[in-house]
Amino acid sequence: MSTEDRTTGPTRQSNRSGPVVAITRWMENLGETGFAYLLLTPVMLLLSAIALYPLLRTFELSLYQNVLSDPEFVGLENYVQLFTGGASARLPGSTTFLPGVSTSGSFPFVHVEGLLRSALAVTLIFTVVSVFFETIIGFGQALVLDQDFRGRRWVRAAIIIPWAIPIVIQGMIFYLMFHPSAGFLTGPLSNLGIIASTNTLNDPFSSLLIITVADIWKTTAFMALLILAGLQSIDRSLYDVAKVAGATKWQQFKLITFPLVLPALGIAVLFRTIDAMRIYGLIDSVSGCTTVPSLSCMVVETFNTNRGLAAAVAFVTAGLIAIAVMGVIYQQYKEGF
Amino acid sequence: MGTEPDPAQTADDEMGPLERWTHGVVNDQEKRNRLYKALFYVAAAFFLVTTLFPFYWLLVLALTPSVRQADWNVSIPLLGEVPFPTPQGFNVHAFVEVFQQVPFHLYVFNSFVLATTTTIIVLLLASLAGYVFGRLEFPGRGLMMLAILAVSYFPPAAFLIPLFDAFLGNAVVVPFLGIELFEPPRLVNTPGSMIMPFSALFLPLSIFILTTFYAQIPDGLEDAARVEGTTRLGALFRVIMPLSAPGVATAAVLTFIAVYNEYFFSSIMALNNQPEQWSPLVGGILSYQTQYTTDFNLMAAASIVGVLPMLIIVVVAQEKIVSGLTEGALKE
Repeated sequence: MSTEDRTTGPTRQSNRSGPVVAITRWMENLGETGFAYLLLTPVMLLLSAIALYPLLRTFELSLYQNVLSDPEFVGLENYVQLFTGGASARLPGSTTFLPGVSTSGSFPFVHVEGLLRSALAVTLIFTVVSVFFETIIGFGQALVLDQDFRGRRWVRAAIIIPWAIPIVIQGMIFYLMFHPSAGFLTGPLSNLGIIASTNTLNDPFSSLLIITVADIWKTTAFMALLILAGLQSIDRSLYDVAKVAGATKWQQFKLITFPLVLPALGIAVLFRTIDAMRIYGLIDSVSGCTTVPSLSCMVVETFNTNRGLAAAVAFVTAGLIAIAVMGVIYQQYKEGF
Repeated sequence: MGTEPDPAQTADDEMGPLERWTHGVVNDQEKRNRLYKALFYVAAAFFLVTTLFPFYWLLVLALTPSVRQADWNVSIPLLGEVPFPTPQGFNVHAFVEVFQQVPFHLYVFNSFVLATTTTIIVLLLASLAGYVFGRLEFPGRGLMMLAILAVSYFPPAAFLIPLFDAFLGNAVVVPFLGIELFEPPRLVNTPGSMIMPFSALFLPLSIFILTTFYAQIPDGLEDAARVEGTTRLGALFRVIMPLSAPGVATAAVLTFIAVYNEYFFSSIMALNNQPEQWSPLVGGILSYQTQYTTDFNLMAAASIVGVLPMLIIVVVAQEKIVSGLTEGALKE
């Protein structure tokens, strides 16, 4: 696998010399495998420095306490603290990692107030609810975009636009929409009893609701585009056959569209799940991390005070996401990677 | 298929209008199609209104000089007062004031510099990797692609703590061995502390897009260039990359949008969100939220200014975004 005909033909033995020429000649004489690894080196170096090293180091830090002043190896103690709600596993705003192990200890396992004070529960609730609605609405948008109609290009652009706007502006829009003294929705919605009328953006339930709606507004487009791609890869002649056979539109949808779009739908759901579990910026810009504590929020809020614990939370978050990533990889593998 | 007169039609006379209509819809192809069409337009209109309304809301706020006194109700005959915001004034000056209260243009400028630099780095590195994955056969190819894929999905929070330490200038330590490698320069408050994480996080998507495109260039074209005396790298940058221009543009557009929109590292690595610390758009918007807490019209105006570049990109490069997103996700 070393040198092939490539090395002889094109490489002219130049009379010029110097380091550049020497390096060029050396690269040209590398075999395919060697050349491949050489070109991948910069990518691998960057990913090792920015992803692999921090991940390993985070795990190491999560095994220590008092990392900043006097590091002390404590093994899995930080993880134990997280899952039992030990005294050190507290955050500003009496946030914990798990529900049911909340501050006073008097909460039953599923108490709304206790649930919304726990980073794990908030992240999972947010993920499940937002991905659920994004899938349904995204499917609807994809079905609309799949039709042929005048102005389709503009409707598609309009649907994509929320996806392309900065998170901080998405946050600002919903912050302004629900701000007690600026927003127009706080009054009517609090009259209906859906959200709190005062300090709306400091109320855990109202804020989580607002943040979920904001996320659905922005990222449904991503779902719609992936589902649309799945819809457009369906063989149109199947529908002609179905029409001849007298199938109704609903039957066509149930028996052709849905099963055939399912793989694309599955991938889209996995991608959104992975992304939703990382939520931070939207929370930070709408109501702040102490009101709606997500896992990433917990890391950012504590890493300057309790580094070992923050590292443990970060590593657990990475582990949770790794499970979803495995799902993606399995899907790819099944389809013949 | 056909719309021959239905035998049931004759019995229609004894039914009420609603019953007749539903009956017609069930049996008459023509009416059914009209119903589907109506449903379609209702759905399309609904999606248009829900996606675009928040931007209308920003505009209303920006034009309203005193938001606190604003009355967001409209009276509609029959329904009475309905909560619907309309501009209470026409204060275009807010769009000038945005740049006076806070040096907002500097934040936007920083965002553009960061996004452009990252895009160039990503295109360069992803081109090398895309060439390797798309055109070369070597052991460990599939495994390395999977590793790169996995990296891009980990949460930034999992990388934050050691990166922040290193960017503060603390020594980089080999995990579990405790050996100090080197003391990096202090990178917080400089573009490097943001460009490096951005490049790593957004690299994988571009690699996958470019791999697909580079793999499609016929071998003959590359060979022809090589016979002419071009090196392998020369062939990549002078033949394969220009021939894959649509793919390169797609990767560039998606990377630019991703960096411009990024929140996590943008808000953390510029310690005080100051423009001199290379704080991008995030810092500019947040400084309105934290310092000018009652100037809601300015917050809205700043958001509109910040969103404009993305509006233009979406309208101009729509096809690229759609193809890049779907290919990146579905064909990886």
